Amino acid sequence: MVQFIKNIFQESSKNMRITLYVLITLVVLFAIFAIQILFWGLGYTDMNNNFTWGAWIIGDLGLVALGGGAFTTGYLLYIFRVDKLRPIINSTVLLGFMCYLFTFVFLLFDLGQPLRCWFGFAYPNWGKGVYPASMLTEVFFCLSIYFCILCVELIPTILEHKVLIKNKVIATIAHYMHVLMWTMAAAGTFLSFFHQGSLGGGMWGVLYGRPVWYSPHFFFMAVVAAIAGGTSFMTMMPYIAGKVMKKEVVPMETYQILTKVSGIVFVGYFIFRVYDVYTAIVKYAPMNFRDYFDMWGGYYGIWMLVLEFILIISAIFFLVQKKYREQEKFMVIGATSGILAIVTSKLSVLLHGFSVPNFPWKGFTAYMPTIQEWAITFGCFACMILIYMIFAKWFPLFPHLEHEEHEAHH
Amino acid sequence: MKKIDRKDFLKIGAGAVVGGVAGYTFSGAPFLGFQWLVEWSQDQYVPAGGVEKYVQAISESCVNGCKVSVRKIGERAVKIESKEGVCPSCLNALQLLYHPERVATPLKRSGEKGSGKFKAVSWDEALKDISAQINKAISEGKANSIAAVNKNESINGLLMEKFVRAVGSNNVYYEPTWKSLTSQALGGYIKYDFAATDYVLSFGAKLIEGWGNPVEMQKVFVDWKKKGVKLVQVDSVCTRTASVANEFVGIKPGSEAALAFGIANYLITEKRMTSTGADFAKWSQIIINKFPLSKVAALTGIAEDKIKKIANDFAQSKNPVAVAGKGAYGMSGSSAEIIAVYCLNTLVKSRAASLVKDSEISYVAEFSGIDKFAKEGNFSILILNNSNPVHNSVYGEELKKKMGKALVVAITPLINDSAAYADYILPTLSFLEVETPQNKAAVIKQNEAKDAKEIIISLASMVEKAKAAMPKQVSDVYNISNKEVAAGSFSFNVDKIKNDIDLYEKKLTDKEYPVTLVPMEVPLVCNGEGLAFPYVLKSIDPTILKLGKFYVQMNKDTAKKYGFSEGSSIKITSARGKIKAYVHLTDTVAPETVAIPLGFGHESYTKYGNDKGVNPKKIMTADIDPLTGIADWWSTRVKIS
Amino acid sequence: MIVKDSKMKRKWGMAIDLDKCTGCGACSLACNQENNMPIFEDDSDVPKRVAFLELMKVTNDRDAKFPDVKTAYLPKMCQQCEGNDTHGHKADPPCVSVCPAVATDVGDDGVVSQIWSRCIGCRYCQTACPYEARVFNWWKPEYEGTFKEGLNPEVSVASRGTIVKCTFCSHIWKRERDKAVAKGILDINAVTYTPACAAACPTGAIVFGDLNDPNSEISKLAKSDRAVRLVNAIDDQPEDKKKALMEKKQYPNPKVYYLTSQKWLRDMMRFKKNS
Ligand code: SF4
Ligand code: SF4
Repeated sequence: MVQFIKNIFQESSKNMRITLYVLITLVVLFAIFAIQILFWGLGYTDMNNNFTWGAWIIGDLGLVALGGGAFTTGYLLYIFRVDKLRPIINSTVLLGFMCYLFTFVFLLFDLGQPLRCWFGFAYPNWGKGVYPASMLTEVFFCLSIYFCILCVELIPTILEHKVLIKNKVIATIAHYMHVLMWTMAAAGTFLSFFHQGSLGGGMWGVLYGRPVWYSPHFFFMAVVAAIAGGTSFMTMMPYIAGKVMKKEVVPMETYQILTKVSGIVFVGYFIFRVYDVYTAIVKYAPMNFRDYFDMWGGYYGIWMLVLEFILIISAIFFLVQKKYREQEKFMVIGATSGILAIVTSKLSVLLHGFSVPNFPWKGFTAYMPTIQEWAITFGCFACMILIYMIFAKWFPLFPHLEHEEHEAHH
Repeated sequence: MKKIDRKDFLKIGAGAVVGGVAGYTFSGAPFLGFQWLVEWSQDQYVPAGGVEKYVQAISESCVNGCKVSVRKIGERAVKIESKEGVCPSCLNALQLLYHPERVATPLKRSGEKGSGKFKAVSWDEALKDISAQINKAISEGKANSIAAVNKNESINGLLMEKFVRAVGSNNVYYEPTWKSLTSQALGGYIKYDFAATDYVLSFGAKLIEGWGNPVEMQKVFVDWKKKGVKLVQVDSVCTRTASVANEFVGIKPGSEAALAFGIANYLITEKRMTSTGADFAKWSQIIINKFPLSKVAALTGIAEDKIKKIANDFAQSKNPVAVAGKGAYGMSGSSAEIIAVYCLNTLVKSRAASLVKDSEISYVAEFSGIDKFAKEGNFSILILNNSNPVHNSVYGEELKKKMGKALVVAITPLINDSAAYADYILPTLSFLEVETPQNKAAVIKQNEAKDAKEIIISLASMVEKAKAAMPKQVSDVYNISNKEVAAGSFSFNVDKIKNDIDLYEKKLTDKEYPVTLVPMEVPLVCNGEGLAFPYVLKSIDPTILKLGKFYVQMNKDTAKKYGFSEGSSIKITSARGKIKAYVHLTDTVAPETVAIPLGFGHESYTKYGNDKGVNPKKIMTADIDPLTGIADWWSTRVKIS
Repeated sequence: MIVKDSKMKRKWGMAIDLDKCTGCGACSLACNQENNMPIFEDDSDVPKRVAFLELMKVTNDRDAKFPDVKTAYLPKMCQQCEGNDTHGHKADPPCVSVCPAVATDVGDDGVVSQIWSRCIGCRYCQTACPYEARVFNWWKPEYEGTFKEGLNPEVSVASRGTIVKCTFCSHIWKRERDKAVAKGILDINAVTYTPACAAACPTGAIVFGDLNDPNSEISKLAKSDRAVRLVNAIDDQPEDKKKALMEKKQYPNPKVYYLTSQKWLRDMMRFKKNS
């Protein structure tokens, strides 16, 4: 085993080695601080009674929104039969899986009583009808079920490992699972709509006491945001992997389809977001006797909103127009802007939202994550990258690649 | 029957395991296990139950004599309730009763003075040693080198005064209270009939924030609201009293006396009013010459017309009263100011203010007041009766040095800044553990501490000279009756305060130190006594202490002028030294003024009171007043950077 | 013991007369003692402080300059929001519907309860509360040594990582009910009580009572011209506009009323443009 690990390091290039060291250090730090947080509580974070959530929830919102690319891609491939997406689906499913896995991890850290997390299932807050009263109840259920679905979707990728697939039984299972995948995709999409909406937007939209957040359409906007940003994200990850591996892991035309989808949905998102800001200004803020622009202040000022719009427009500009999208570098700029636009919007929901004073005699507040929060956040991201790397190296993450290698051998 | 072969056996086994695990999971047992794990890992404390009972108690350690009803569960006291209002120190009684750092047995110093090292000794040993030293001092003819500092004029203070006088010493002092302060300045303290007045002109007295008798004043306040009594508050910080007042007169810090001079000047010259006080003619001459309205307006920052209006309103009310004694729990004021303000009462012949005296408390001592004693006094034995002069006096540092060379006995329930320098600490009980003529002790004694009365009496019984004059047992203490008697006539004492009045103007306009430092008081913290109690810490406003940072308050324009912004650090330098803090900007403070919270910066006052903020007394003005013997520290000229 | 069909008819409410409040802090101290607030050596980490009642210092130096400034103290606890459901349904405070574990609920008496042992510590309710009335046990609640002796057995000590909040001292109501039952009075509507803060106020600024009883002092105070509720300006609106707004689901509708005759304080309770 030790030898095995040594070999990996020796085989890798210098840059790769450095990357690996950094990632592993982060994971180790994550482990250390995780113990501290779980055993001695959340006092070590910079969250407080006013800034009730922090880095981890930003991580949650970001991961879930970006992981949303998985259901979109799955939907397009299995339901709409856009077969050109097949080369990217394994990577997509893995990314989706990890995004959700670490959403759980973050959520768990955010609970003051992680050992009681099952209360969410044992004493769910259902309203009168079938619809849950608490957005978090919905998150609990949808997220777990969708996570199970992602697990099932991921299994074929593992089963198709070149050693495993030799086994007849496994090969059959893998085959049938692939065939049945559309049911999963359909169910996944259905569920995704709910938790994307709830965790991404509805959770905030229902807080009618807090004028910064309250807006009934927030739920739906979050779904659009997830589709728009998620597809960009699903493009960029394998793209970066390809650059690192110096191989064409996914054909360009696949990227083109996804980025096109992303660009078009971003147009929708843009319109929605403009409507959102507009209603906030003329309706929801005044309803609470607040002035929309007065609620922007402190460190997380109006620049966040401006930045978000610049990024959205940049994404639309480069992704919608064919002439730009087809040039690799503009596609990359467009998709990156798309991802950043979504991340910025989540940051501003959180940082700006919490920083706004609740009392006229209190000022804007600020939040500066502690080392524990940084370590856990980035440790999780490091885990994700490592897992992705492992899959890229040893599992058929990119069928296209194997396909090509195969061709080359002949 | 088919024989069960190995394979089947394994299958059945596996099935059983799967079934078992499934059953176990669905039975909910693991969740119960989780629940148990939660509780175990969190180690929740469960307070013991018991029969509920209410018992009554009366405080003898405060001047208000607070009456409380104690809610008990079994033998534990869990709540203090009161229908009539309670003073802050009695509000904290429960936290004192169960304070983990309460001194449980008599302690004897075992390390260097001030090192905080003590060892437990028996009551006998402690009292024997102390009384032997007292007897020795008496026999050597140095009785007057025995001194005591009382916290207040409660029964315990009274008894201590009796003891010290019986020993043959004149050195008994009280921490500054409105009583001691005005007694020294006027020859008797002012008895205010707040129920009869219809117009109150307060010179910085925070009447509803703990001034005088806080319990009493709360009632007076409610009564005023009902009756529509007009309150005019003069102050350089917008306190709560200033805000409930009908009129808040913002004034340049430290110039309250000038305003009183101005009003007096106007009433004397324009309204032909006179006072019957001795030396009035002389005093009025000085005031008229030195403080014409135009100058008063410049010194106070209040327009001449406004001063005239206040004076007219005051003079035209049916029964107006002017109140001196700035502050609430930390009291300060020069005799020149107290006399000038009292003069206003005599000018309008107020029926709501009269001079009285306590029959048992004379305030006559070797030195006129505690600060003068700390600065100039010499003592070989010092008894601290629940007092904390090291923290409260501007001469705390000097006193500390002197305490290093003397035998110091601290009678106190907690080791405070002063007790840390003691040779003996004699722990006292909380009033909840003390029996009074009206009630049995509310709770059983928590430790070996004793009632302060008992300690003083047993000590006296061992001192030959004091034996006869002192009560024999605690129940006799209640036979001492402290009556209010009329004080002699009021004198302006011009000869003594003339010098101060002459220097006054210069003091207010010191160019080298352009800014004025004034104290502000914080709810429940009082003059620092509250800081040992965690529930007091819980109520401190973030504009005063936040994340360990201690804030002073500054006017926004002034801050801009000197280049400060919210949260920036500040160095405040006076002629006596410098302190560091952080800045909070607020326009509730007058321009060119820095307001600093009082009662913080304890060197030793349990782990709850330690290391919190700074004690501004260290740098506050230490000019001792010629009559009161107390430093007029209220406003200090400083520079800031 | 309790009569089955005796339905709770009361709706507890509070009125705090800011004209009478001197800022003495007795309410805060009483609340801490009554509700077993944790004891820390340094409680100056105000944003993480655990206390149900916050004695807020309010000044108007936003709008005014010295000496036209004013200072007031404003005791703030959970406002026991009724929510804006005007259709006669169950009360719907902002914080209750969001809890994923049903750890908080509204009682028949209108008091928003909180079960500390049920809470999973997600802090969603805290996020939802517009009055910063909920506090989280960021650290394990501590009671050093003998301080444990002063704990009230009627209020359980919370675990680390749970939300706690003011419940109008509803344990005192239970105490009073048990006393009534012991005397043979089984009607729960006969039971009245006073929360710790109201009992401790030396000037009588805090009045507590039944809002459903039109003759109670609290009902009269709530209707007085001086009454205003924290921060939201809906109370200042004409009746029809108020009703329309209430139906739009956006008003917490607290049951704590603040009384003040001071215009500056009313102004300070509202967000102003360009503040
Ligand atoms: S913190 Fe506790 S009470 Fe609040 S929403 Fe979460 S589980 Fe419910
Ligand atoms: S004040 Fe906050 S905690 Fe209390 S009922 Fe309203 S929303 Fe809930």
